[in-house]
Amino acid sequence: MNTKVAESNQDEKRAQFQARIERGEKIEADDWMPDDYRNQLIKLIAMHAVSEIMGALPEKEWVPKAPTLRRKLAIMAKVQDEVGHGQLLLRVVEDLLAPLGKTREDLFEDLFTGRLKFHNVFHMKAPTWADAGVIGWLVDGAAIITQTMSLDSSYAPYARALYRICAEEKFHAQHGESIVLELAEGTPAQRQLLQDAVNRWWPALLMFFGPPDDGTISSNQQLNMQYKIRTQTNEELRQAFFDKYVPRIFHLGLTLPDKTIRYDEAEGKWHYQQPDWEEFKQIVRGNGPRSAQRLQLRKVSYEEAKWVRDALLAKQCVAG
Amino acid sequence: MIDYSRVQSAQLAMQNAAYLLALKELLFQLADDDFILAYRGSEWLGLAPHIEEDVAFSSIAQDTMGHAVILYEMLEELGAGKADDLAQLRNPEDFRNAILVERRNGAGEYLENPHYDWAYAIARNYSYGLFKQIRLESLHNSSYLPLAQVSRKMLTELNYHLFHWQVWIRHLAESTEEARRRLEAALEKVWDDIGDLFSLGPLAAHMVNFGLIAGEELLLQRWKEKGKEVFHSIGLEWPGDPRVPQQNGRAGEHTDDLVQALATLSEVYRLDPTAKW
Amino acid sequence: MSNQEQAQQTFSVFEVFSQKHPISGFVHQFSLLAPNHEVALSLARENFLRREPCNNIWVVKREDIHAIPPEERRYLERMDNKSYRETKGYGDLQARWRYHKEQYEKNTASK
Repeated sequence: MNTKVAESNQDEKRAQFQARIERGEKIEADDWMPDDYRNQLIKLIAMHAVSEIMGALPEKEWVPKAPTLRRKLAIMAKVQDEVGHGQLLLRVVEDLLAPLGKTREDLFEDLFTGRLKFHNVFHMKAPTWADAGVIGWLVDGAAIITQTMSLDSSYAPYARALYRICAEEKFHAQHGESIVLELAEGTPAQRQLLQDAVNRWWPALLMFFGPPDDGTISSNQQLNMQYKIRTQTNEELRQAFFDKYVPRIFHLGLTLPDKTIRYDEAEGKWHYQQPDWEEFKQIVRGNGPRSAQRLQLRKVSYEEAKWVRDALLAKQCVAG
Repeated sequence: MIDYSRVQSAQLAMQNAAYLLALKELLFQLADDDFILAYRGSEWLGLAPHIEEDVAFSSIAQDTMGHAVILYEMLEELGAGKADDLAQLRNPEDFRNAILVERRNGAGEYLENPHYDWAYAIARNYSYGLFKQIRLESLHNSSYLPLAQVSRKMLTELNYHLFHWQVWIRHLAESTEEARRRLEAALEKVWDDIGDLFSLGPLAAHMVNFGLIAGEELLLQRWKEKGKEVFHSIGLEWPGDPRVPQQNGRAGEHTDDLVQALATLSEVYRLDPTAKW
Repeated sequence: MSNQEQAQQTFSVFEVFSQKHPISGFVHQFSLLAPNHEVALSLARENFLRREPCNNIWVVKREDIHAIPPEERRYLERMDNKSYRETKGYGDLQARWRYHKEQYEKNTASK
């Protein structure tokens, strides 16, 4: 076969694939897919997966310290779910990586070397119990908004994982709300803990959705839309977050560190103060306040357990 | 006249001071064992050697803490104080857990450089699980009927935990040389502490006379029989008779590891124990 | 590296199925990585069924599952002409029974 024929075959396959996407069909792991579709999915889902794994760590700091027996159990279950979400997403991305000869081990290597990034929020400090509440309420709230949007993803294995995840995220948000309400209804000292935590997390929450698009759409975003992997813009998601949470924050008698935030009825959108996007870049590059320490936790435990994985590999299917 | 071979409720138990004292002492042993081991389990969360195992291990820690909660609530019913206070406000010398469950998971802290020892986690959880199985079976015949009843439900969950740890211990024993060496070292370490697991503490005679639980010797004997059988089946050498640690946890003697554990787990609650959390 | 050596480098994928009640069928849940069936079974429930009742679990090594290849899956589509197999193809029965009942009642009444 000469190269011209091969190329035109390739073009035809791509066109057929795009037609499937446009018909609203779902793609499975064993379907033919263009390389850029696969790469785009890998980039998105790998980041999502390690964000769940790394996202367990800030709240985990409060797992042994949770203030009552019930809260100890609830936060353990919640953080366990986060690790479980990491597991689901890792499996999805591992299946995408398999044809490229890559495995879970490679993903962890990429995480440790900084090639694979995780969400900005999980680089931040969580110095008080109220932070655990705010993470459950607002960080999980933000996550529900982005994940719900992706339920319609053209890649069926990702959508299936997200259905499981979203069902559990509802419990997470309630878990967070319950902690937050207890503090809000509590002593002045408890309310102060909560207010401080909201102030601390606000810029990170704005950053969570990514920079606004300035009217131009990045090639990344364009590809996601073309392939129906992700269909809403960062700003649309951030606005949806404001719609849901800003009123509730005010209902609790809390304030926001942004005095300018207001809803414009005529425009139907929120005006707010932009966070420092330069700082955002620094954080996701691994220069956040807790980036190094949390990566170190993951790395130490990973290295400490190498002998365990080797031992299990030696038992590969012996008992099978 | 109350029949002390079948005590149906907390109200009845509270009518006999000697019975009540022995019962509360036993419940503290049971609750504190589960609570502290579950705490050690919760420190492992996010750090286990395999993601899928991390999730499974956390369920076991949750179940175990769930058992502790039921037991603290029983104590609350018996007038010992609020369950949350019992778990978080008592002094270390008031804790009745065995030394084995309070030991650190390894060098380092869960927040910083956790050089945790998975072989120790397996050896400890398995040995304790086997003990707990025997203790729960004995409690099926306890004269305190609410405890007898709940021991049956707990056993169902515990058997699942034991199945899990047994898979692990066998896999480590039968895999690489390094794994086996680490497992054997961990078992040695566990064996140093096993002794006071079987101790019923200063009120042992009362507990047995009141028919609350079987005697120490009987529990130990059953544990050895079962343990030897399992070790033999997976080709592990039986590490000999369990040794008794310096401190007796059942008498309120503890290591600094417990002091650290209690400080951590009550840190937030102690900010204001009268507040709602 | 030979295939066998490669197999030693990474865990196998196991598909997990569960049965809710004794009379329900097995439903696919998700997949996990494990070295063998026994470990897979010891991990399955807590990974995928933390909140649901569960009566039994199967784990199946993915390479033992044979699926219809992507390009042949569209042959699974059917024409929409098989009402004779379904209850909706027999929607007239009730009216006809009613008719016969009414006829009968009319006849008996007139006797």
